[in-house]
Amino acid sequence: MGSLSWRQFKAILRKDIVMELRTREMLTSMGLYAILTMVVYQIALVEAGEGLDVRLVMPGLIWVAFIFMSMLGLNRSFVHEKDQGCLDALLLAPIDRPVIFLAKFAGNLLFLLVVEALTLPVFAFLFLQGRAGFGGPLWMVALVLVGASIGISGIGTLLATISVNTTGKDIMLAVLFVPLQYPLLRAAVGATFAAVIGGPDATASFWNWMGWIAGFDIIMVLAAFGLYEFVIEA
Amino acid sequence: MPEPVDQPAVEVRDLTRAFGVRKALDGVSFSVPEGAFLSVFGPNGAGKTTLLKVLTTLVAPSSGSARVCGLDVVEGAVELRSRIGLISHNPLLYPDLTAEENLLFFAEMYGVERPEERVRELLEAVELDHRRLDTTRTFSRGMLQRLSIARALLHRPDVLFLDEPYSGLDPHAMDILDSLVASIRQHHTFVMVSHDLEKGLELCTHALILAQGRVVLFEKREDIDERAFRATYRSVVGMGVS
Repeated sequence: MGSLSWRQFKAILRKDIVMELRTREMLTSMGLYAILTMVVYQIALVEAGEGLDVRLVMPGLIWVAFIFMSMLGLNRSFVHEKDQGCLDALLLAPIDRPVIFLAKFAGNLLFLLVVEALTLPVFAFLFLQGRAGFGGPLWMVALVLVGASIGISGIGTLLATISVNTTGKDIMLAVLFVPLQYPLLRAAVGATFAAVIGGPDATASFWNWMGWIAGFDIIMVLAAFGLYEFVIEA
Repeated sequence: MPEPVDQPAVEVRDLTRAFGVRKALDGVSFSVPEGAFLSVFGPNGAGKTTLLKVLTTLVAPSSGSARVCGLDVVEGAVELRSRIGLISHNPLLYPDLTAEENLLFFAEMYGVERPEERVRELLEAVELDHRRLDTTRTFSRGMLQRLSIARALLHRPDVLFLDEPYSGLDPHAMDILDSLVASIRQHHTFVMVSHDLEKGLELCTHALILAQGRVVLFEKREDIDERAFRATYRSVVGMGVS
């Protein structure tokens, strides 16, 4: 990345952070969605009583919440670019289009990780209090969060750019996003399950799923990076 | 007013841009020299905004060619973007950033040297230095337009494109915009899309009428017979969308 591209990358990322700290649109909507989803989960599981080992279903519940939560944030991340023609202003600048992708990707990843870090303890409080805690070390859970969030933000940034120019952009993003995220979602649930259950077998399973996550991240982020110029100028 | 020289600042040859089967631009050709002020008129759907988008590299031509500052709008797009500016009826500013933050952001986008100094200079020029720390969401239409001019001038472009810049402005804001355009007229080539025949003819050195994506009339200001020009304009306004 040249010095101008680096300046541009920093400027877009800084702008997104300043605007988010000022409006809190993404963080509030994503955080509220995640917490409300957890409350609904708790109601849904209330009849299962003490007989249910919540750790068995917790990984799936977490990632369903995070996947849908991330769509809210990704949609918001491009809506303000469309306000008052700002996206055109960005495209008028002598900036390599992949730099826009990298900056928006970094911003989306940052906001997603912040909300995940804030809501995961709430999740643990609601579902694990009085029961057995995580079977594996917490860093394993953190690693899954970071790995899967990279894939979610990478492909999500590309798809949000496509959908922002379409009518019914919320539906369009969901229709494109969920099927493409399926392999990542499966691997993230598998790795989180291994981290929550713990034990020697779980560790091997954890690294196996983390390999899938890393592979998905590399392929999807590179594909999104390569396609971005075509998509944003379409 | 600068005497235009003969090197073309904007040169368009047989330019066509289609969206599906509809041709928004259909074989458009014209050229204007450096220092010129081209006013582009035409009814809604005539292809004016598409022409502006092609010339500013936001939309690629389907066929034909367009050169601005001697650079092809496709092959030389990246270099060209640093030599053009756009003032639109849309301010192209982030409403949740302050005036100063907006200009500093775009200064970084264009790699402007000593950005703080340049931003301060432009905020003073558009008389918005006293509002530099206010978010642009709180600005009036006229203030947004003045800040939009500052944004477009940050990187000292050679050619300025104006897309209905007077749209929605009150008379006072129009006066301020007039004086700002006059103050930078000396050093720039302008291409202005407008529905305002009076204003467009008052400012231009060249005038172009588009209808249904085609050039109906293109003349130097001194060659224009105003009565015939107005009659031609009135006749094409009824032609509608291409």
